[in-house]
Amino acid sequence: MTGSGAAGARLLIGTAKGGFWATSRDRRSWRVRGPFFKGWKVTTALRLQDGRVMAAVASDVYGPALQVTSDLETWEQLPAAPAYAEGGSRRLREIWKLAENAGVLYAGVQDAGLFASDDGGGAWRAVEGLNEHPTRGGWMPGAGGLCCHALLFGRRPGRMWCGISAVGVFRTDDGGETWTPKNEGVPIAIADKEHKGIGACVHGLAQDPGDPDRLFRQDHMGMFRSGNGGDRWERNEDGLPSGFGFPIVVDRRTKALFAIPQESDQRRLPPEGALRVFRSTDGGDSWHSASAGLPSRDFYGTVLRGAMAVDDMEPGGVYFGTSAGTLHASADGGGSWTNLDVALPRVLHVSAWPE
Amino acid sequence: MAGVTEPAAGADVSSRPRSGRLPTARVSLPSLLETATGGVREIAVSGRTLREALADLLAQEPRLRPHLFDETGGLREHVLCFHNGTNTRWLKDWEGALADGDAILFMQAVSGG
Repeated sequence: MTGSGAAGARLLIGTAKGGFWATSRDRRSWRVRGPFFKGWKVTTALRLQDGRVMAAVASDVYGPALQVTSDLETWEQLPAAPAYAEGGSRRLREIWKLAENAGVLYAGVQDAGLFASDDGGGAWRAVEGLNEHPTRGGWMPGAGGLCCHALLFGRRPGRMWCGISAVGVFRTDDGGETWTPKNEGVPIAIADKEHKGIGACVHGLAQDPGDPDRLFRQDHMGMFRSGNGGDRWERNEDGLPSGFGFPIVVDRRTKALFAIPQESDQRRLPPEGALRVFRSTDGGDSWHSASAGLPSRDFYGTVLRGAMAVDDMEPGGVYFGTSAGTLHASADGGGSWTNLDVALPRVLHVSAWPE
Repeated sequence: MAGVTEPAAGADVSSRPRSGRLPTARVSLPSLLETATGGVREIAVSGRTLREALADLLAQEPRLRPHLFDETGGLREHVLCFHNGTNTRWLKDWEGALADGDAILFMQAVSGG
């Protein structure tokens, strides 16, 4: 049982055509409701420390916005949202990551950049140290767009990491004033002639709950970890059918890692048509399938970088959605899985929390 | 079309004549933008010109701004605006006169398959 006393859980599922809630009192039987923001992409969401839930929405026609709810029923668009300067060449197309740390709300966006708000989203400022990084001229978009989609925070004040697709991981140790590429040990996916140390295509980042400098990285070029805050990365793929994949998440209590390998960057399909989750309980030394109950044949949906989440309950709940619109839940840390009886639009994001 | 740029909402609103009744038009919005207006899709706006009318629209519903206009200062690439049935991209500028009962329609330019 979770320390919060909750036995159930709530998921926010962001899809290409709206948001959905999934709720359960026992994490075995689920009720799915929605869509809200019908017709909008729901690219990411965050339960704020004040209890509100914030969701990022986007439309290929009408651009992005941030929506917030206090009662989980009614939403209101924030008056302000991250924005690039008018007249410039950058467009703010989508918001792919929301994170809160030390009273500051951050938004990672496409075109790649980072914005911060000191008042819960009332006003936003560009994190110029990253957005105007000296390597910016060499940033090239990957298949998922040129976007900042991962944010982690260090124990020491001012330390923070961000992941940008097809560019790599950057770290700041001074609260965002200056940023350094941290990709040593990871093969470069798209080398830049002028700017070295970038062109690494990070797909997902996770962090040891007990040691924030111990990082795990699902990269385009494989699975990696770092024991020194990203100064150096080493490959850790023992037991994985493929190093390629998108999400990686960690259970805060058990430190178990979860990933969903795909068959090569060329094919991007579940190996052998089996939807399989791989779990590591030894910090990435070895990986083992934890897929009991998941479709074992003829499954060809993929799991995108933001479409997997954990609820940090006891025992740990693990959840993910697929590009085929399926939704899967485990209430026992990946020991067994429930396939929810839904066919949603392409799943872009999953958030989970006890309820 | 070159020369058609975003009306500067604040400036235009403040520069409107303070006396005399201004022509009033009706703006129709696509259903997707209900999320920005709290469900409202029809809005009465006033101004002497199309520019002033759109400035009034953004003053009433500031959350529409990022959905209709982008960082270029102009309409988003796939957003269309019609003034009495005329695509504003065909206009030289936003300075056309507004008359009572005019219709301003926003819609998306992309098609499906």
